[in-house]
Amino acid sequence: MPEQQPYEPERAIAGTGMGGQMDLGASEAVTLEKTPGGPEGTGPQDKPRSLWSDAWHDLRRNPVFIISALVILFLIVISIWPSLIASGSPLKCDLAKAQEGSQSGHPFGFNGQGCDVYTRTVYGARTSVAVGVLATLGVAVLGSVLGGLAGFFGGAGDAVLSRITDVFFAIPVVLGGLVLLSVITSNTVWPVIGFIVLLGWPQISRIARGSVITAKQNDYVQAARALGASNSRLLLRHIAPNAIAPVIVVATIALGTYISLEATLSFLGVGLKPPSVSWGIDISAAAPYVRNAPHALLWPSGALAITVLAFIMLGDAVRDALDPKLR
Amino acid sequence: MTEPILEVRGLVKHYPLTTGILFKKQVGAVKAVDGVDFHLDRSETLGIVGESGCGKSTVAKMLVNLERPTAGEIRYKGEDITKLSGKALKSVRRNIQMVFQDPYTSLNPRMTVGDIIGEAYDIHPEVAPKGDRRERVQQLLDVVGLNPEYINRYPHQFSGGQRQRIGIARGLALRPEIIVADEPVSALDVSVQAQVINLMGRLQDEFDLSYIFIAHDLSIVRHISDRVGVMYLGRIVETGRDAEIYDHPTHPYTQALLSAVPVPDPEAREYRERIILAGDVPSPTNIPSGCRFRTRCWKARERCALEVPALAVPAEFRHATGPAAHDSACHFAEERQVVPHEADGDGGGHGSGPG
Amino acid sequence: MLLEVRDLHVEFHTRDGVAKAVNGVSYGVDAGETLAVLGESGSGKSVTAQTVMGILDVPPGRITAGEVLFEGRDLLKLKEEERRKVRGAEMAMIFQDALSSLNPVLTVGAQLAEMFTVHRGMSRKDAHAKAVELMDRVRIPAAKERVRQYPHQFSGGMRQRIMIAMAMALEPKLIIADEPTTALDVTVQAQVMDLLAELQRELHMGLILITHDLGVVADVADKIAVMYAGRIVETAPVHDIYKAPAHPYTRGLLESIPRLDQKGQELYAIKGLPPNLTRIPPGCAFHPRCPMAQDVCRTDVPPLYDVTESDAERGSACHFWRECLHD
Repeated sequence: MPEQQPYEPERAIAGTGMGGQMDLGASEAVTLEKTPGGPEGTGPQDKPRSLWSDAWHDLRRNPVFIISALVILFLIVISIWPSLIASGSPLKCDLAKAQEGSQSGHPFGFNGQGCDVYTRTVYGARTSVAVGVLATLGVAVLGSVLGGLAGFFGGAGDAVLSRITDVFFAIPVVLGGLVLLSVITSNTVWPVIGFIVLLGWPQISRIARGSVITAKQNDYVQAARALGASNSRLLLRHIAPNAIAPVIVVATIALGTYISLEATLSFLGVGLKPPSVSWGIDISAAAPYVRNAPHALLWPSGALAITVLAFIMLGDAVRDALDPKLR
Repeated sequence: MTEPILEVRGLVKHYPLTTGILFKKQVGAVKAVDGVDFHLDRSETLGIVGESGCGKSTVAKMLVNLERPTAGEIRYKGEDITKLSGKALKSVRRNIQMVFQDPYTSLNPRMTVGDIIGEAYDIHPEVAPKGDRRERVQQLLDVVGLNPEYINRYPHQFSGGQRQRIGIARGLALRPEIIVADEPVSALDVSVQAQVINLMGRLQDEFDLSYIFIAHDLSIVRHISDRVGVMYLGRIVETGRDAEIYDHPTHPYTQALLSAVPVPDPEAREYRERIILAGDVPSPTNIPSGCRFRTRCWKARERCALEVPALAVPAEFRHATGPAAHDSACHFAEERQVVPHEADGDGGGHGSGPG
Repeated sequence: MLLEVRDLHVEFHTRDGVAKAVNGVSYGVDAGETLAVLGESGSGKSVTAQTVMGILDVPPGRITAGEVLFEGRDLLKLKEEERRKVRGAEMAMIFQDALSSLNPVLTVGAQLAEMFTVHRGMSRKDAHAKAVELMDRVRIPAAKERVRQYPHQFSGGMRQRIMIAMAMALEPKLIIADEPTTALDVTVQAQVMDLLAELQRELHMGLILITHDLGVVADVADKIAVMYAGRIVETAPVHDIYKAPAHPYTRGLLESIPRLDQKGQELYAIKGLPPNLTRIPPGCAFHPRCPMAQDVCRTDVPPLYDVTESDAERGSACHFWRECLHD
């Protein structure tokens, strides 16, 4: 990818603007001399800092990151051990209590089938987190491997892959889901995950390809090649660690959207179907009688919104921390 | 005469220009290097100077096999290395190493200094047994003037000059015979440049290295080189020993290049003769016929457009002895003094100072 | 005095602490005069210029003290609105990197003409004619045709000419050129420097030339200010400084450059590295690298002494300037 030229409009208009480089020598700053020129030659020495530790340093101080990370941590814990905070079963329903509001022991009330909304919302997290995490993993692995290889080797394979990603970008996600998933009868998370991976990998592959092409042009890759390094060494040791950051950022943000995609598909009836527990299913079920029992819609939708928001905010925070230009 | 350690003949690198995405069609070529010949003797430094786009960096890349030549030969101890691959190529690579221009991009930011320098031993395990490597890396750090204890630090903790020392240590790790240095000091601060140049000079003696030193700065090239080749638009236009080039240039391009270098001496302003060339370097996709310098040359005549001048001792000087009789690719070569000599008194130099 | 900078202090807040980029810089330039500000990266030469121009990024930068007098008015006290009027019309700046200073999607003609329509209220037609005239003036061949071309269609040298044309457009009284030829080839450098010097003479402008190249300075400057670690360490007319520097840093710089007319064995090298601006050594900032340093240099900050032995106005911030001058 060609590097973006910074363009400052004011500079172009009035011959003013920031100087090409900040004459601050910040990167020249650390003095590590073998023979210090004098007793004061070196200052206190910095700890080794890499991009990741720099990013971590930033993240620890970022409230957005801390809040979203805590929310996500909580979600992961309850999706593994939902019984920690919910004692009942999400499938134990009592039609007699249908649409009843909040009462002792049932803080969120009951839904149209008389199931406890609180328990179902807690158990629904498992589906969302499972779909989000597994689909993201699949997308990230498939996308970065294909994109990375295409970016590294270039040539005809790259050209073909680029056209394939174009084709996938043209598929409308929801329509594709309706068509593809409606023919599948299995009521597990796997078809949904498979569908998301199928449609999601081109996004990551594009990012990974561009990122690898940028990293590939660095002199240190040439230097390793001049030493006689093999392609796999170049890719794994020199390019991948320097190209992975944008992939991680995009994947984190995508994770949130995959969770909402699962809910959308379940809402439309092609994702998970009852008796599976999913926020999408509950939202779908509660929608027709929202006037009588708004709480049945509110809680799963709220949980979904907070979850998606948490992942997107986390991705944003990570992106800011990893972007050296913002330092 | 002994055999040169490196000999380059008819070296050409053309990058095809294509259109179309899946079905590519060649519509032209960037002639980055267009027929270069030179040789390098053992323990000698050959400087290659030229402006940006003259092809000097492409030559460097071909020498260390980062680019495959379109045509021509690169003979290392008599063996053409351009056709090698696999094991044979790897062993040649050990002996020809490179130092890069930009110390900020040539070191992997995710690796420690020890890993960067030691990587050479991972790739060529036969050079150093495993238990020995750390010590060797530390020795190398010491050799280039860095504290061996910095082995676990990351590149960004060092300044530009120190990073370039790390780059040099990496180049030395395999004990090569030839080092190709592509603008090794041009990214550094003035006061640090001298340190690195001196280091390279010292290492040459210590390890019996032969250097190809590529730069755009004529003063630095003169300082370090035994012989110099001046490149213009993919070809060497003049080559000779340093005094032959700097004090007795016969090619008009060399003369213009030398006269344009700012001299750190305000007194020289008055008597210095400067040749200001008109226009820009032509595009390497569309090289002028005949002599490629003719579009900017004040001496150009009809013959220059028709006949490509050969890189040889010009006819005028063929029977002469003396410094003017060296290879120069010009039909109308003549000697011209362009570098002002320190006439009387010093212009700022205060002896050589402490080493 | 056209421009006078008095006791300027600028700081930057960085992750590693407060970087003192400019620590009490004073210099002046008259109409028709060329002042070269010489220094390495991190010396504060560009930050000073950005402050004068009013284009320092605040934050992270902060002007803590000092005055910038332009024709007697302190620019630092002006409102941004008024400063903008000074910028471009009264003083203009030329940058190192012409490509990123020009808008890539507008023709150079449009960018030049904009100067006249915005600042002078000219009609588009007149402004266009002016643009062609300007391009002629900076000797761009076939100006009439090339005025319709985009920045990327010009070579580096030609683009720098366009930047010069833009800076000259409103005939300012002061030009600040920050490393204007560093990115250019030697033969083109000479062309551009000549052009700049010629236009300066013609328009009788003040020129502040910021550079690290002692050769360029010797060719065009009237007087020099040498900067180190945010201070001026030596200031003198150009002839005097090359003949006999009165500061060991200047002397080291002059001795360490390889010369075209000499093939030396070992170059003189200033030991050590420029200091970290967050930890400038106490006393004289240069003492850890100085061959002449004594105890007093480690404790006492040297003021800019008057070099009394010279007829010209000279200053040196070295306790031992006398010894240095005669050594």
